[in-house]
Amino acid sequence: MISTLGATLKYRSLVGTANQASKVVALFSPEWTTVRFRFHADKVAKGPVPRRFGYEEKIFKGGLLPRTSYQDKRLPIPDYKPKNSWNEKRALFGQNDYIDILGPSNEITQKTLHPTQLLYNVPHWLRGVKGNEYQVLLRKRKFVQKEGYPITHPTKWAELNVRIKKLYKYLNTKTKSPFWKHA
Amino acid sequence: MLTATRPPLPIISSRKLAFPPKFKIPRQVWVSNMDTVEEEKLGLIDLHPEVFAERPRLDIIHENVRWQQLYRHVSYAHTKMSYEVRGGGRKPRPQKGSGRSRHGSIRSPIWVGGGVVHGPRSPKSYFYMLGFNARLNGLRSTLSAKLAQDDLQIVESLDIPTDDPKYLEALVEERGWGPSVLFVDDHDIMPLNITAASDAYGHYNLMPVYGLNVFSMLKHTTLVMTLSAVERLEERILFHLNRNDAAEATAKYKLSSV
Repeated sequence: MISTLGATLKYRSLVGTANQASKVVALFSPEWTTVRFRFHADKVAKGPVPRRFGYEEKIFKGGLLPRTSYQDKRLPIPDYKPKNSWNEKRALFGQNDYIDILGPSNEITQKTLHPTQLLYNVPHWLRGVKGNEYQVLLRKRKFVQKEGYPITHPTKWAELNVRIKKLYKYLNTKTKSPFWKHA
Repeated sequence: MLTATRPPLPIISSRKLAFPPKFKIPRQVWVSNMDTVEEEKLGLIDLHPEVFAERPRLDIIHENVRWQQLYRHVSYAHTKMSYEVRGGGRKPRPQKGSGRSRHGSIRSPIWVGGGVVHGPRSPKSYFYMLGFNARLNGLRSTLSAKLAQDDLQIVESLDIPTDDPKYLEALVEERGWGPSVLFVDDHDIMPLNITAASDAYGHYNLMPVYGLNVFSMLKHTTLVMTLSAVERLEERILFHLNRNDAAEATAKYKLSSV
């Protein structure tokens, strides 16, 4: 029925002027019947039927790659520089970590060097320290106060104290158990 | 090429082991020279099985490597919280009337450019201390693995005739020592020639006995030790294995103890 309607509407031409009355053909009439004249099989036989009509595939399937307007310069891609696995830092990584086992000990006290004493690249108040933010900041404040930090870094000192205060209030009013149990 | 004049071989034929093992057989290794490119075996010595012939425990080795990588790591990743981000003190628009959503500050976490709520706060240290015996056994396991896999070479001393880097390279290639070699001596000031020669290569490294560690032993393919280094290493490890006052050394790490 729909094809009849389509056929009717498609092939019916508007004749005459607007003044003339045009007959509208009814969707149904006992005088005529619809006949299928178009079959999907014929369409398929003609060639591949487009799938996902209207869909634009964004994957590159072939053809020329995009070209820039200039031919002599390289495309902007960072140069690959492989890391040097054998520079001094990497080659000797881990040296002296077992100095308390393999190193010499004091003859009288039997004390050795500990690897935490050799963490030169770590801030001195963080050497051998593990803790959550609050604990670490408290320790920093204890160390740094004696070294003139309030004079040399007044803003950072103020921020440090503000942060400690906020964490104190948060940990004591908003968390039930010690903070590290939640973490 | 200089040819070394030596007394009749073998120069070294025996070695007295401290804390002699009762039910384990000592392992024997050749002692070679560094004077010539071609290998000359100078003798055969015993190695203590409790240091060099322990069954290698891969889990302990892994624990040690992980500890070495992590205990010195500090993360400096840092994000600002709402109150730390610059600005955002004023209410952007009145509570009611504009028809838009209500806000109190332009730096609240739901805004672009606003603060991060539970982000990283620097500095964060990943420090922890592996147990004394875990580290001791890590050393024993790695040394045993090195010996078992033919990656442990004993030399008389690290004296080489020239400071030419090519000499060292030729020596290592001739003997089939791995691409990377770790030379270990007892004293921390090494002979001049080998220091100059190995300086040209990043993969030939010198280390004193107290600097020896699991990570370096695994990073370098071959471990070359001098006789004095072996003596010192064995002495230290056996001392810790057989001491009866280890309570303080093996105690849990406390910040105040160091």
